[in-house]
Amino acid sequence: MDDLPLQKIAISGPTLSSLLQRVSSSPADADGLLFGHISPVAPSTLSDDPSSAATAASTSNSAALVATVTSFLCPGCPLSFFDSLGRLLFPSLLHHSQHRLIGWFSSRRRSRLQPSMRDFNVAASLSSDPSLSFPIDASDGFSPRVFVLFSTPPLDSAIHTHEYRAFQFRTAADTFEPRSIDVVNIGPGFRGHYGNFSPNSSFPWLACDSRGSSMMQEDGKEERLSEIRQVAKNQNEIDLIEHLSEMRQAAKYQNDIDLVAEGFPIAKLGRLMGPEASSYTAGLEEMYEKMLTKIDSLARLVENSSAQVLQMEQHNSKLRAEIAGIKRVVNC
Amino acid sequence: MASDCFPPFIAAQLNYLVHHCPLGVKVENVWSGSKSYPGVLDRFTLLIPYCLDYIKWDVLYNAEFPLCAPDVIFGPEDEHFHPFWLRSKEGGNEMEGAKNSLSEWNHKDPTRLCALIQELRDEYTAYQRRRAGEVDDDRLTFEISTILSREGIEMHMSSGLEKPEEVKLAVPLLDMNINKMVHGCPWRHLQKIHLQVVYPVGKKYVSAASAPRLKLVSTPELKALFSVDDVKLPSWVDGMCMAEYLPHLEESLQGQIMEAVSLIDIRRHFIETLAPVFGRPIEADPVFCRKATVLVASGVFTFLVHLFIPTQFPKQQPALMLQSSQHFNSQGAPIRSSLLTDFPWSPRWEAPQMAERILEFLVDESLNFKRFCNEAQLQT
Repeated sequence: MDDLPLQKIAISGPTLSSLLQRVSSSPADADGLLFGHISPVAPSTLSDDPSSAATAASTSNSAALVATVTSFLCPGCPLSFFDSLGRLLFPSLLHHSQHRLIGWFSSRRRSRLQPSMRDFNVAASLSSDPSLSFPIDASDGFSPRVFVLFSTPPLDSAIHTHEYRAFQFRTAADTFEPRSIDVVNIGPGFRGHYGNFSPNSSFPWLACDSRGSSMMQEDGKEERLSEIRQVAKNQNEIDLIEHLSEMRQAAKYQNDIDLVAEGFPIAKLGRLMGPEASSYTAGLEEMYEKMLTKIDSLARLVENSSAQVLQMEQHNSKLRAEIAGIKRVVNC
Repeated sequence: MASDCFPPFIAAQLNYLVHHCPLGVKVENVWSGSKSYPGVLDRFTLLIPYCLDYIKWDVLYNAEFPLCAPDVIFGPEDEHFHPFWLRSKEGGNEMEGAKNSLSEWNHKDPTRLCALIQELRDEYTAYQRRRAGEVDDDRLTFEISTILSREGIEMHMSSGLEKPEEVKLAVPLLDMNINKMVHGCPWRHLQKIHLQVVYPVGKKYVSAASAPRLKLVSTPELKALFSVDDVKLPSWVDGMCMAEYLPHLEESLQGQIMEAVSLIDIRRHFIETLAPVFGRPIEADPVFCRKATVLVASGVFTFLVHLFIPTQFPKQQPALMLQSSQHFNSQGAPIRSSLLTDFPWSPRWEAPQMAERILEFLVDESLNFKRFCNEAQLQT
């Protein structure tokens, strides 16, 4: 069961607009990958808005799936991850642990909004690669089937600047089936979607147990070790090993946190509560200031590197125009 | 076609396609998809002859990415046409044997686009043939099975919401090279005659199968020798099939073409007999002998007489057109008469008599024409 129909494709307003910005600023046609997740539609009848409750009840279908696009990757050139025959260039690279590849998109200026010969071949390659398939609900698999086609109107006189159409590639009939795009914005009608757009960051998950408050860097270790010694006396060795690996894991998390928090030990957070808190505001402000300077320097770095990338792109574009002989055509 | 606005690599491939491809491809529409160079054209719509009609395909290049092979968007009704689809069971990427005109694309080779379009058209022919073969209609399945062996047969399955389902066949007729039969033949492409057969796809509840729609279609240049519009198609008897109909039609066509070829010599003889009466023709069509122009003088009034000789000559008389060499209209073009055919004629006359009768007619007609010319010039 690898060919379940999608009910619709959801994308958040900001993601769609940045995607449109990316493809419209590219020099020529562009294509890229869409990441996100596939989830069954949860029929939500609990709403304080009577109108939305009624529509949710009428459209919900127990078997329906919704593809949610959360991010994308666009190198800004044609044939970015496949060759002229639609074969995937680096299938292993497409397999990303953190972001699920759910489909791809293609943008062609001033062309019909109809999948082309190559679109079909790329979609067929993507959906037939078993290494890209992933499970939904631990039962059915889903391979990257979402395809969004962007274009610009064929005539310059048109009042709109973008056109797009979404499809699901069905392997049973080997066709593209049009799907509606649901642009998710803020409002009561979209309440059910908020959970779908939780941010993914590399900030590690804090494994805080009930004794979390005692897991402080300096004094916590000794306490733990003595605890382990006690445990070792009473229980068998397997428990000890488990405990040790748990500790190692905790230490690894701590290291990860230190990398992000930089000079602000998590132990200090404890002082934010209780009677000490009022005298600690200065320390907190210092932390915020450090964070701000860090963000500022990061922004500057990004700005500089972006400028360099832009310069390089312009240079490349000039070289490409030379190879294509465009310069000669434009000049004469 | 403003081909000078294409980048050189696209222009070379497109020119080669239009001028060297035997298919006779036309370019309908050209436009640009480039952001930085909006004047540089890199996409166009091709009109490709197929099954006595045209199919429209959009070809999309990227002017700034010459190394990228072009993409093709087929017609909206061909959403199930998937050429170059590399079906692989496992992995999706082991396509060792896959080799076609898109693999290892070379933008510097001007023949590449032509090869691509030809290969795609071959795939399209096979695709349409498959579709026609899948139609659930016993008569059609039988008819197709009897003519499949004909080389160059093309089929087209048309279906839509508004249109009734039909299968169109382009059956090439006559296995003979008409080009070789004409002495000094100027045709670049092989001349062909096709029978267009349109079968409505049978509805299950209709008992009697209706006759197919039949039409003869020839390559346009063949009209100089033989017009298929003059051919009267044998009637289609109820319960007939193509295998019965075609040999009969081909036999009669073959006879008519042989006759048409032999008529060239009769026309040539006629043009030659014009010489003793009118003097040597100023201009004559040496291959098909369909046109001749002679100079005639009536007193000081000199004019040209164009003779247009029909393919059915001498059964049909030539048409004459007079053109003054002394009178011009306001645009500076010489004044001409309309086509004249109302002069005495008999196909049974000998060629010299025909020429003399035309001369007699012209003697009277020249006075009318001179008056007509003077009036026309006075008006301007």
